Amino acid sequence: MDYFLQLVISGIAVGLVYGFIGMGFAMIYRATGVVNFAQGELMMLVSYIAFTLAGTFQFGFWPMLAATVAASVLIGLLIEVLLIRPMLGQPVFSTVMVTIGLAVILRSVVVLIWGADPMPLNAGLPTEVIKIGPAGLYPAQLYAVGLMAAVLLGLWTFFRYSRVGIAMRATANVQTAALLMGINVKRIFALSWAMSAGLAAIAGVLIGVIYDVNPGMWTTGLRSFPAVILGGLDSVFGAALGGILIGMVENLSEGYIGRGMKEIAGFVLILVVLMVRPYGLFGKPDIERV
Amino acid sequence: MRSRNFKQDYRQLLALTDSVPVIVWSCLLVALLAVAPLLLSKYYVSVILLLLITAVGVLGLNLLTGTTGLISLGHSGFLAVGAYTAGIVAGKLGWPMLASIFAGGVSAAIAGIIVGIPSLRLKGLYLAITTMAFAVIINHLILNGGDLTGGSEGLTVPQPSLFGQALGAERGYYYVVLCFVVVFTFITLNILRSRIGRAFLAIREHDIAAKAMGVNLVRYKLMAFMVSAFYTGIAGGLLAYYTRYLNVDSFSLLISIEALSMLIVGGLGSVAGALLGTAFIVLLNESLGFVFGMIGASFGGSGSAAYEIKGVIYGLAIVLFLRFEPDGLMGRWRDIKHYWTHWPFRF
Repeated sequence: MDYFLQLVISGIAVGLVYGFIGMGFAMIYRATGVVNFAQGELMMLVSYIAFTLAGTFQFGFWPMLAATVAASVLIGLLIEVLLIRPMLGQPVFSTVMVTIGLAVILRSVVVLIWGADPMPLNAGLPTEVIKIGPAGLYPAQLYAVGLMAAVLLGLWTFFRYSRVGIAMRATANVQTAALLMGINVKRIFALSWAMSAGLAAIAGVLIGVIYDVNPGMWTTGLRSFPAVILGGLDSVFGAALGGILIGMVENLSEGYIGRGMKEIAGFVLILVVLMVRPYGLFGKPDIERV
Repeated sequence: MRSRNFKQDYRQLLALTDSVPVIVWSCLLVALLAVAPLLLSKYYVSVILLLLITAVGVLGLNLLTGTTGLISLGHSGFLAVGAYTAGIVAGKLGWPMLASIFAGGVSAAIAGIIVGIPSLRLKGLYLAITTMAFAVIINHLILNGGDLTGGSEGLTVPQPSLFGQALGAERGYYYVVLCFVVVFTFITLNILRSRIGRAFLAIREHDIAAKAMGVNLVRYKLMAFMVSAFYTGIAGGLLAYYTRYLNVDSFSLLISIEALSMLIVGGLGSVAGALLGTAFIVLLNESLGFVFGMIGASFGGSGSAAYEIKGVIYGLAIVLFLRFEPDGLMGRWRDIKHYWTHWPFRF
């Protein structure tokens, strides 16, 4: 039982990171119908930026997080304006391929600037393990739990009460009608990218602090796909829950079935889920007319 | 001005081509490829060989993604299945070369049917990510396949031989591959002008509309997956005999992305475009490697920086093509052709 709890708790801690990345995927998909395949690479780039910020200014955890999120939001806006907006009117597939191209570029750029060796991201957090029941967690992982709660609450309030949040939901629902109601859809798209990049920044900093920054970090983005598919590509909160579920499933299968199962457990799970529910657990089914 | 549309019966409409220049130029291209190994050095021949093998796989992906409109990010998985099956039956069971390449194709086709089943319910990006999941799972299985696949140590493949005659990579094997490319190009063109090809196109345009017109979606979607995977499996078998050493690292997701970008550069859905795009990307890769090999030497041999710059340029090529030439090289070629035939009119 202890072993089980330990696997579950550390799985949740890993899953939170998947959740943050997955929410970023969902944020963009909801608004624009595009899956940003460069989300993992963006996350990697941003955590390297955090590394440089931390090294240059000797920031503590919170100032570093704030500065990194700000930088990341700028990068997200830049990507939207330079690469994605000109693709308006092209098939979705083309836009998705642009993000794949961007992913290839970012992967190389990171190695070119920072080199290929893994480096620790030092944020001055205490490193002794905190015991919670049978499982031990790093303080950074507890921060992740708190951050996730705060972000979820913030996003929920934003989407529920703020004018911009309601405009974003309207755009996600029916784009043309939103346009007719006087919503600036282009600005909503840009905002979605910016927010998604901000979420990527949180994920990047967390991974950097918990593990290290290395040029293989983008694979975490790949492994967050099951999270967002499980929740449904257009459900931001579903992605958060999906991430936590996938983290747990990965850890449990690694612990009980065999070594290496971690790498594929999430993918096997979504294959099964999609056979039953083709739009994920919380996704909105598409009704098509001919 | 060359006038068109003087077709008087269905046979003319379905003919492979009605243009003499197309036949002449195609024959010239094949002839040129056939004499290439006699004229070029070993290095260039092996580049062309790799290009030809890639072309078989890209033709397969084109049938699925370009013609049927089902996006696949899992073709690296089919390639791996084909290559490893060929490698295993040749190395462990001692099958002859053609039989093991064919076995690679068949096993990939079976995998294709299995992967195709979710495609009956999934669309667009959900399907793309499902096929990606398949590729990830295949790589995992190969890595943990024990003695059968050699795991992380890889698998060596025997030398290519035909009817007991050993073939050198540059000469003999080159012609085998060239035959495969010609045959598969013909098969593709013939699929496209048959009922099957028209069904594929109808599914691409709108699958529910196609269903309403009497296209059996289950049958044709699975068939598209099967045929496409078969092509890619054959390419995998050819690749196995070309590299003669298989490692799971060489079947990463990047292969699928590379193949898709070849399609986009060439122009989605067109056979000539698929071949053109393959040639463009493979030659771009090789020439970049060549240029950076020279620059890298003068920089004091920082090989990894050159590799990364290659990655940047490669990504830029994808992005810029999509941005400025969304119809690919074939689209540009069509524009030029129109311009010449319709001058002085604009269209």
